[in-house]
Amino acid sequence: MPGMWWVVGATLVLGLVSAYLIWTAGRVERLQARAESAARALDAHLLRRAAAAAVLAEQRYGVELYSAARIALDAVGEEREAAENDLTRQLRTVVLDPADPACEAVIAASRRLALARQVHTDLVRDARAARGRPLVRLLRMGRGREWPRYFDVDDPTVTPKADVTTG
Amino acid sequence: MRIGIVCPYSFDVPGGVQNHVMDLAEALLGLGHEVSVLAPADEDAALPPYVVSAGRAVPLPYNGSVARIAFGPVSTARVRRWITRGDFDVLHVHEPLTPSLSMLAVLCARGPVVATFHTAMTRSRVLSAAQGVLQILLERLTARIAVSALARKVQVEHMDGGAVEIPNGVAVAKFAGVEPLPGWPGECAPGTGGTLGFLGRFTEPRKGFPILRDAFVALAPHRPGLRLLVAGPGDAEDLYGQFPAELRERVTFLGMVSEADKPRMLRSLHLYVAPNTGGESFGMILTEALAAGTTVVASDLDAFRRVLDGGRAGRLFPTGEAAALRDALTELLDDAGQRAGLTAAGDQVVANFDWPVVARRVLEVYAAAIEATDGRVMDQEWAGLG
Repeated sequence: MPGMWWVVGATLVLGLVSAYLIWTAGRVERLQARAESAARALDAHLLRRAAAAAVLAEQRYGVELYSAARIALDAVGEEREAAENDLTRQLRTVVLDPADPACEAVIAASRRLALARQVHTDLVRDARAARGRPLVRLLRMGRGREWPRYFDVDDPTVTPKADVTTG
Repeated sequence: MRIGIVCPYSFDVPGGVQNHVMDLAEALLGLGHEVSVLAPADEDAALPPYVVSAGRAVPLPYNGSVARIAFGPVSTARVRRWITRGDFDVLHVHEPLTPSLSMLAVLCARGPVVATFHTAMTRSRVLSAAQGVLQILLERLTARIAVSALARKVQVEHMDGGAVEIPNGVAVAKFAGVEPLPGWPGECAPGTGGTLGFLGRFTEPRKGFPILRDAFVALAPHRPGLRLLVAGPGDAEDLYGQFPAELRERVTFLGMVSEADKPRMLRSLHLYVAPNTGGESFGMILTEALAAGTTVVASDLDAFRRVLDGGRAGRLFPTGEAAALRDALTELLDDAGQRAGLTAAGDQVVANFDWPVVARRVLEVYAAAIEATDGRVMDQEWAGLG
C-alpha cells in the first residue's frame, strides 16, 4: 500500500517541521524576554549611579556634577545616551577616594553599571540575531515585542584616584 | 546566594581549571554563600564536602591533549538531577565549549548562566563542525568571564560577544608565612651567594629555561655560592646535562612539587625567574611567587608586565636576552634594599589577586546575570557584596 506510506511520511515531516517551528518560536520569545529584562536592570543601574553621583555632588564638587546627574536622571528616549555619557565624563574629572562612603557608592554603582551594560549588549545582540533570521522574519515570530535596542554608551568604569604609592 | 559550579575536568588529576574551581568555591563559601560543585570523579575518590561527583571520567583525546571528561546520557541525567535538586540562583560553568559536564549543564539550565573561559582557544574542533550548536550554546549564557586579556580577546573576536575580564585568584594565605625548605635559601650578600628558582616544564621552549641557564652559567663562576633550584616535570639527566660539570652541584632539581610544597619552594628563593618567551596568557606563577614574598624577575611579556604593574612589583628584562637577565640578576642579588622594595610593591599588587577579592568580583557578575534574567536589581547585602 504505497498510499499509506505517503501519509505516514507526510505526517512525520509535518510533525518535525512544526516541532522545529514551535521550538524556534520559543527560542525567539525567550531571548527577547531576556533582553527586555536586561534593559530593565540596566535602567535601574543607570538610575542608581545618577542618584549616587547626585548625593556626592551635594556634599562637594558642586554644580557641574550635580546638574549632569540631574540631567541623566531626567533624560528620556534619544537624549538619554548622551546624558549618561556626560555624567561618565563628569565623574572622571573628580577625585574619587574609595575610603569616603559617598565616593565608594559612586565607584560601586559605576562598576555594577559596567557589568549591566556588558550583559545587556550581549543579550540584545543574541535576541536581534535570533529575530533577524530569515525564517523568523518570514513567519513574523516575536512580533508581539519591539525589536530589542542597543543602549550605546561609553564604558562607565571610573578608576579611583587613590593615594598611589610609588614603590 | 545558592551557587552551582560545574567543573568539566576530573578532580583526580591536578590542573589549572580544577584548582581555580576549588579555590573559587572555597572563597565563596568563606563569604557565606551556599556552593555546590559538580565534577567528574571516581566513585571512591576523596572529595571536598562541597563537590558532587558526576561519575567516572573517560580519557578522551581532544584538541591535541588527553582530557578526562564525562559526557553522555548517564552524565546528562546526573547533571539534570543535580540542577533540579540544587535549585540554584545562578549556575557557573567553566569551559562550556568543551564537550563535557559544563556543556550539558548549559543545555539543561533554565535560569541565569555565567560562563568562565580559561584557555584562549579559538574554537574547538567539534564545534567548528556545528556552527548552529555553538550558537545555541552561546545564547544560553547570560554573562561571560575571561580569566586573561587573551581569552577575552578571543571572546570578542571569535565568539561575537563581550566578556568581563577577571583574573585568576591566588590563595595568598596559603603562600604567605610558610616555612622554606630546610637549608634554603641560604645567604645572599653583595658579590656572593643567592638562590635563583624556576618552576615549570624546563624542556618546553616557550618557558624559556635555556635563557635562565645561559645567565646562570655566565654568572656562577664570578659569584661563589650562587645556587639554582628547579622544580617541574622532566628528567633529572636532561636538566643536569645542560650544565657544565663543575656547576652541576650548584643546581638542585626537585622534580614535580605538590600544590602543598609549591609555596615552600617559592619561599626558598631570593629571586624567582620567569624567562618565558611567549604563550603565557596570564602568568599565574608570578602572582604565586609574589604571594610567597619572593622577588620576581620576568621577561617583558604583555601578560607579565600587567601582573607586575609595569615593573613596579618585579623586575622586567627584554624577552629572550640572557645577558640582560644576567645583569638584572647581579644587580638584584647585590641589593637587598631593592629586592625589599619590589617585594613590598608585590604585596600591594597581589592583594588584588587574593581569592576573596576576586570572588567578590565574580559575585558581582552573578548579580548582573540574575538581574538580567528577572529584571530586578538586587541590593548589595543580598548579593553578599556589602
